[in-house]
Amino acid sequence: MGLLQRLATLLPLANHWLHRFHGGVSPQYNKSLSASQPLRTTLMPSQLVLPLQQPVGLPAEPIVQVGERVKKNQLLAQAGKDPRKALIVPIHAPTSGTIEAIMPMTLPHPSGLEDLCIVLKPDGLDEAIDNALQVDGSAPQTPQALKDILLQAGIIGMGGAGFPTYAKIPSEAGKIHTLLVNGAECEPFITCDDLLMQTHADEIVRGALITAHALGAKRILCGIETNKPAAINAMRHAAKQLQHDNLKVEIKEVATVYPMGAQKQLTFELTGVEMPSKAHAVDLGMLMMNVATYAAIYRAVTLGEPLTSRIVTVSGLGLEKPFNMPVMIGTPFVELAEAAKPKVALDYPLVMGGPMMGFQVQNNQVPVLKTTNCILANPPEPAEMQMPCIRCGACMDACPVNLLPQQMYWHAQAHEFDKVEKLNVFDCIECGCCSYVCPSHIPLVQYYRHAKSEIKTIKAEQQATELAKQRHEFKLARIEREKEEREARLKAKKEAVKQEVAAASSAATDAAKPAKSAAAAAAAARAAAARKAKSAATQAESPAIPPARLKAIEAAKAASARAAKQTAEKSPEKTQQAGAEDTTLDAKAAARKAAQLAAQKRAQAKVSGNIEISDNKESANTPDSKPDPKAAAKAAAMKAAAQRREKTQQAGSSQTAEASTSPKTEAIDLTGSSEATPASEKEAARKAAMAAAREAAKARAAAKKQPVSEALSAAEPGASSSEVAPDPAEAARLKREKAMQAAKARAAQKRQAADNSNAASDASSQESSS
Amino acid sequence: MTALSSPYAHNNQSVRKVMLQVQLAALPALLAHIYLFGYGIVIQWMLAVTTAIVVEYVMLTLRGRPVLPFMTDMSALITVTGLVFCIPPEAPWWIVVSGSAFALIFGKHLYGGLGYNPFNPAMLGYAFLLISFPVPMTQWTMPGEVVGYTLDFMHSAQVIFMGHFDGNSLDMITGATPLNELRTGLSQGVMVPDTLRAHDSQLPWGLNSWAWINIAFILGGLYMILNGTISWQYPLGFLGALSAMALLFHAIDPAVYPPLSFVLLSGGTMLAAFFIITDPVTASTTPRGKLIYAAGIGVLVYVIRSWGAFPDGIAFAILLMNIAVPLIDQYTQPRVFGHSR
Ligand code: SF4
Ligand code: SF4
Repeated sequence: MGLLQRLATLLPLANHWLHRFHGGVSPQYNKSLSASQPLRTTLMPSQLVLPLQQPVGLPAEPIVQVGERVKKNQLLAQAGKDPRKALIVPIHAPTSGTIEAIMPMTLPHPSGLEDLCIVLKPDGLDEAIDNALQVDGSAPQTPQALKDILLQAGIIGMGGAGFPTYAKIPSEAGKIHTLLVNGAECEPFITCDDLLMQTHADEIVRGALITAHALGAKRILCGIETNKPAAINAMRHAAKQLQHDNLKVEIKEVATVYPMGAQKQLTFELTGVEMPSKAHAVDLGMLMMNVATYAAIYRAVTLGEPLTSRIVTVSGLGLEKPFNMPVMIGTPFVELAEAAKPKVALDYPLVMGGPMMGFQVQNNQVPVLKTTNCILANPPEPAEMQMPCIRCGACMDACPVNLLPQQMYWHAQAHEFDKVEKLNVFDCIECGCCSYVCPSHIPLVQYYRHAKSEIKTIKAEQQATELAKQRHEFKLARIEREKEEREARLKAKKEAVKQEVAAASSAATDAAKPAKSAAAAAAAARAAAARKAKSAATQAESPAIPPARLKAIEAAKAASARAAKQTAEKSPEKTQQAGAEDTTLDAKAAARKAAQLAAQKRAQAKVSGNIEISDNKESANTPDSKPDPKAAAKAAAMKAAAQRREKTQQAGSSQTAEASTSPKTEAIDLTGSSEATPASEKEAARKAAMAAAREAAKARAAAKKQPVSEALSAAEPGASSSEVAPDPAEAARLKREKAMQAAKARAAQKRQAADNSNAASDASSQESSS
Repeated sequence: MTALSSPYAHNNQSVRKVMLQVQLAALPALLAHIYLFGYGIVIQWMLAVTTAIVVEYVMLTLRGRPVLPFMTDMSALITVTGLVFCIPPEAPWWIVVSGSAFALIFGKHLYGGLGYNPFNPAMLGYAFLLISFPVPMTQWTMPGEVVGYTLDFMHSAQVIFMGHFDGNSLDMITGATPLNELRTGLSQGVMVPDTLRAHDSQLPWGLNSWAWINIAFILGGLYMILNGTISWQYPLGFLGALSAMALLFHAIDPAVYPPLSFVLLSGGTMLAAFFIITDPVTASTTPRGKLIYAAGIGVLVYVIRSWGAFPDGIAFAILLMNIAVPLIDQYTQPRVFGHSR
């Protein structure tokens, strides 16, 4: 080994004999820049920015308020949903202070993504909650127990990918036979793991032992690159001290070659197992985690400390005094870089991570994440001009995955993405070796990233098209089915209408004859209406007015008929947007919800007299139903049918019909707008007429039959008057007035029948004139 | 202009540096050539470089490409250097000029420039000269060990530009190369061992001038392998296949087929092995593909030398294998990590 290594320093070619995997490069490591410095003490930043969104998974939900004072280790945000599914990890306060804001900030992300962050202003006291996770310090006996602690501690993979650790660990004991500890740290400049191993080797070893114990792993292998002799010694020492009879951490030196720290490459190096392309290490009974993750596991399990800080390397050729430091998560990059005395002003973007796989941040204010291992300040250098590929094959010789970078580039450049995929671009780990060696300075990795995203987009599109096709076919079948249903319904409705008309006229005639029974029926209906109204929470007010029942019937009828007509017109020309279909599926629910909302709003509006505005808002708020009048119509029709059974729900349901059919013709209220006019007109008139009729009947009981015919004749024209379009608000007002009038009239039961008929005709004439 | 995305590091290699490495590696052979054959090659080389500069400038301008970066990529330099070693040192000036121009225009620029040419430009130019001007192409200046002296710079220039020096005709100093002699001897019934014996050399180890040039190429080639400029697969495949052929046929009939040492150290064998077939643009790129490609050339060179119409087969062997490169590349893709074959 020693001889080979010496040979390798003379002969780049010999480097390949030192390690098992193909390719790899030996870049300028520049590690001594930061590794030669002792670990510095934590810097207290002016503010901490804690993104709710971690590198992997969905965002957590804050549980603190702006202005609240928090202590170190206090829980700030946690999963709103089932964390196991959404891969959410909780966020804890790295120090004590006040929550200054919860607002979108730029994250360290290649795209300069902005997302919601908790901004914490440290008070400098660093008051902590001890054992915030409330652990008893004993080693978890089952994977699940360990997973629970890791979830609470918010631990994610600290090597770079940031996958939540609890989600990485399998739940079944014994599934993992070999636990791997990644101490390779192959990227140039970065030395945070090196320093961690030198200073906290016991924590790493303990963390590994705890994990292995909980998972039932038999073997623990730790790979450290040969360029970290101090770390190797410290780890060996700690491993020896802490080993017990059946479990110990085996420290293995691995060659110093980039990318030794890549998961599959290091696994291959340590175990000789070449992980199949699509497989996960866990499926092979192996689990690899970074040294920093193991240390965090130890601290969570034994001390109950959540993950709120990590060691970060601040290095680069642009810094006078590079260093390593335990840094609070959320510390802005620029404050750390400034602490390292930049040689020139930091007007160039800092890099998160190493020079091989890191990325430039869009804004130097971005915070340190749990995955931030290095902040790199390398002043920009003029890049060599990109030349054509000379097919030298250097990229291929360097590729640790044994891909054909040159051919992938060739096809990616020609946009032949299917060929790029065939060349296994998805096995590319984006290590950058190929770009690093390319004499033509072609940004190869950039091409692969682009190709990957293009392929994914194309696939997604294909899938969407396929889905749309299926949905379209399904939809055609459904349209057919619905048409039949609709016809059947229409027929039923016609019957119903006939019946209603008959019932209405018979009611009138009934009223004309046995006044007593008519009054009783009306009273019963009123009582029923009131009862049902109470049960319908959304219709607190409207059903109290007895005629609402009839009004609603009419409205619903009109609406459903209209909707059906609309549907009949629209469905043939309907577009085949996938989105529209989604709406269809949801439309019923949406319509129902809209109806409820509408009813509520209307109830409020009745009080405030502001119907139009609220309804406008309402329908604006239900864009879901917009693209699909058919669904709305269907909903309306169903509601209309339901009305026949549940008469008191009408106000709400007819509103549904309105709300969901209306978006096309702008927001309208049940009682207003050009389309709704006939219905509302009729209602108003009918209401008046009914009131009149009822009063008349009552009056008649006292004043004999004479005025009835007048009342009826006065009511009839009103009921059929539908030509005029009243202002919606006006109509509503009228309605209210009429209702009041009717109530007054009712109260004045003893008054003359002539007066009653006058009131009725007044109402109707007023209405027709408005 | 900085890199848009990672990696932000680079090993500082560039096309120009690679090409200059190749040029550097050719230096021993150039010096040996001057020592053994006189200054003819220097004049040829300067002519070729001048032609290359003019042709590059004109072609890049015509094609609307940025002139400076592409002229300084030094790929044209390597092309003409390769060609110059194939041309008789005292060949008339228009040979090297037309050959270089042809190589660069038809071999490179008309295909889209650097990186897009399927055929090795130097060999294309060489083949063009062999076919167009067979006579001057076979009139090699005899090395000093044979004639007794080498031409100095001025005399070389006279010969190259005027066809004679001090009233002496060119024929006085030119003759056939050992490869050619072997071929002519065989056609006249002289057996190979006799031809070879007739030309015992006074140079160390009894090796003739052509052999020493080949050895100089080996030196340069080893240097390039060690510093990673060329892949070892090319010389190994080529020389391996050529040796296998030579051993086999020499064993069958030593009277007709020359021994291994002669095959390896005559003509352009080592030039091809380390400098010509290693041109990455026109060679196969996969590791196994490189071996197959190089071995194919080795076999073809032997075949053409032994049974073809030309004394040295490297030009046609390489051009033929250039055609096969896409196919070779397609069938020799390496196994990707984590994939079964
Ligand atoms: S970036 Fe991809 S193609 Fe390039 S060397 Fe790394 S794994 Fe191979
Ligand atoms: S290293 Fe660059 S020039 Fe060489 S083959 Fe790969 S892409 Fe082409």
